[in-house]
Amino acid sequence: MTYTTGMDPKGPIPVSLFFTCLADAFSPGVCSATVEVLERFGATVRVPLSQTCCGQPAFNSGNRKEARAMARKFLLSFPDDGPIVTPSGSCAAMVKHGYPVLFRDEPPTLARARAVGERIYELSQYLVDVLGVTDPKSDFSGTVTYHDSCHLRRGLGVVSAPRKLLRAVPGVEFIEMEESDRCCGFGGVFSLKNPQISCKMTERKVERILATGASYVTSGDLGCLLNIGGLISRIGYPVKAIHLAEILAGKTAGKGGAG
Amino acid sequence: MELNANAFGRNARKALLDKTLQAALGRTTERFLAHRDAAVAAFPEFERTRERASRIKLDVLDHLDTYLLRFIEEAEKRGAIVHVARDAAQAREIAARIARDEGVTLAVKSKSMASEEISFNEALQGAGVTVVESDLGEFIIQLAGEAPSHIIAPAVHKSRQEISSLFERHLGGPRTDSIPELVGMARRHLRAKFLSAGMGVSGGNFLVADTGSVVLVTNEGNGRLGTVLPRVHLAVVGIEKVIPRMSDLPTFLRLLPRSATGQAISSYVSIVTGTRRAGDPEGPERMHILLLDCGRSAILEGKYREILKCVRCAACLNVCPVYQSVGGHAYGWVYSGPIGAVLTPLLVGLAEAVALPDASTLCGACADVCPVKIPLPDFLLELRSDVREQGLKTPGEIAAMKGYAGVMRRAGLLEAIERIAGVLGQFFTKGKGIGGLPYPFSGWTERRDFPAPAALPFRKQWKIRRGVTR
Repeated sequence: MTYTTGMDPKGPIPVSLFFTCLADAFSPGVCSATVEVLERFGATVRVPLSQTCCGQPAFNSGNRKEARAMARKFLLSFPDDGPIVTPSGSCAAMVKHGYPVLFRDEPPTLARARAVGERIYELSQYLVDVLGVTDPKSDFSGTVTYHDSCHLRRGLGVVSAPRKLLRAVPGVEFIEMEESDRCCGFGGVFSLKNPQISCKMTERKVERILATGASYVTSGDLGCLLNIGGLISRIGYPVKAIHLAEILAGKTAGKGGAG
Repeated sequence: MELNANAFGRNARKALLDKTLQAALGRTTERFLAHRDAAVAAFPEFERTRERASRIKLDVLDHLDTYLLRFIEEAEKRGAIVHVARDAAQAREIAARIARDEGVTLAVKSKSMASEEISFNEALQGAGVTVVESDLGEFIIQLAGEAPSHIIAPAVHKSRQEISSLFERHLGGPRTDSIPELVGMARRHLRAKFLSAGMGVSGGNFLVADTGSVVLVTNEGNGRLGTVLPRVHLAVVGIEKVIPRMSDLPTFLRLLPRSATGQAISSYVSIVTGTRRAGDPEGPERMHILLLDCGRSAILEGKYREILKCVRCAACLNVCPVYQSVGGHAYGWVYSGPIGAVLTPLLVGLAEAVALPDASTLCGACADVCPVKIPLPDFLLELRSDVREQGLKTPGEIAAMKGYAGVMRRAGLLEAIERIAGVLGQFFTKGKGIGGLPYPFSGWTERRDFPAPAALPFRKQWKIRRGVTR
């Protein structure tokens, strides 16, 4: 095995999957790819079926009452110990940084929220920083560029892990795009409230993606990929938006893809 | 300055269609940003200096009354007359009275965002005083009858050609595309004003409590001319600009130009300490300092107090992809970009600027560059929550949120809805993206496809897998 962990290397690692509402409904392939990759590195994946949404749309739009209701539900859905892994930087950041804000006036819940926040990881972060994966053992092939989702990069500080993994896939030719850390214009409710500005930002992002000549654009957040992929699909550009989990799972063209 | 913040959406759409503005925005913000990044990279102490600046500012916020009283005492000791205005109306009254009492008919002004807050020029014009903007950018937009669109580059939205025709019309100069010629025309025009003005008006980047000094950081030298040549100097400054000691100043002088324009130091730093003393070769005979509260002490009391750390460097504007897309006028008041989206609702009231907290994707780039570490995205989130708390959300949004929360609290219900959506989605779209959705998604699908819901959501897939494998 190419990973190290603080746990008994012989025993399976129990990992809870937070599959996210967006991936569940629109890109279930991202969820199964996440499971596949985690299992490849020895994890026993548990999927709490009562989970729904972390509450980020409500929180980010200022509707804290509803956000709190969903956060409570999330806390109840992941009662066990052990890591919670999710294929979404923004959902992980929501749990880690949003929940303590939501429950700042509710000490007992705040303590539970903080404890859950300690347990949550975005997929690439978990693979590289916790499991120490250096070889993702993926058979994916193609030219790939990477878009930093704002919440993964700035919220969780995950910058190098996804790049390390991509570079380690033998069939992947990784091409860094200009302004990879610039927002794609999704911003959840922002793209509904200010769609024209959002689109302008997405167009700039897609220009940068096309300039790399890559066949795939990948990211650690499905929201960004649905947004970028939505524009690519409308214009019909020859590039495919695909989640990092799917690349790591070794899915090749045609079998999956977020856009 | 007229308030138009709630028209953000309309203003933004207009800005997106303005080709001149789009070209100018891209050029300027990218240049500022590139210079800033280089300047920060070449200054290894940036992080430490930033931390120190933030700490000094927090100390100021904790003891603002003490430092202000000290500043007033020291400034008055050195011959300045200090006025404090509670609100914009009072500030206008005081400014007009100063001009009348000093017998001023012409004033030259160097850029001051604080004076924009109180519509200073209109107040003086009402008192029969002509006010000429002397900062090149401000001068240009004054000729155009517009308001600043950027904190440090107020005419960033104007093309060279537009400026040329403004100068042709107002200064009678020949049409030219040459920047040095245009600058020369403005300079000749303004020199005459400096020499004949009875009062020079400035803003103030810092107020030093232990010396009573007003510090001006500029690049054009007009601030220096305006504070030195006319008989009277009036500085219009927000109360939060005070710093405790002269020894704190270098910390800020290192951060401000680097963050603003990417300069290691600005061309001019003027430290104006009181009136001209016997034997001084230059300086104003009379000096007034107009301190603006205008909502600041109320901010100091609440959860947004750290916004008062702002040094108006505009780094957050330059880095903000929303500002870069729509420019400053879209924000509908004096301050734009992330700082404006937070500060404007706090200064004018949330109901008057309810659209601004939503004018951000919460990407966090602004917090990364802020030299005094203001948590701008956190404040935007907090303001959005205040919108709901204060009953300013639309009934439609609240109903949608309640519906969404109602579904998301029940995994079974969500699963049922996903399955129906999946079936319908596949039936209507054959697995392709959806091109036209009804409101509130219609804006989204105008130029982007929306994904079709999956036929078999993951939760269902997992149930099947578990049923098969276990």
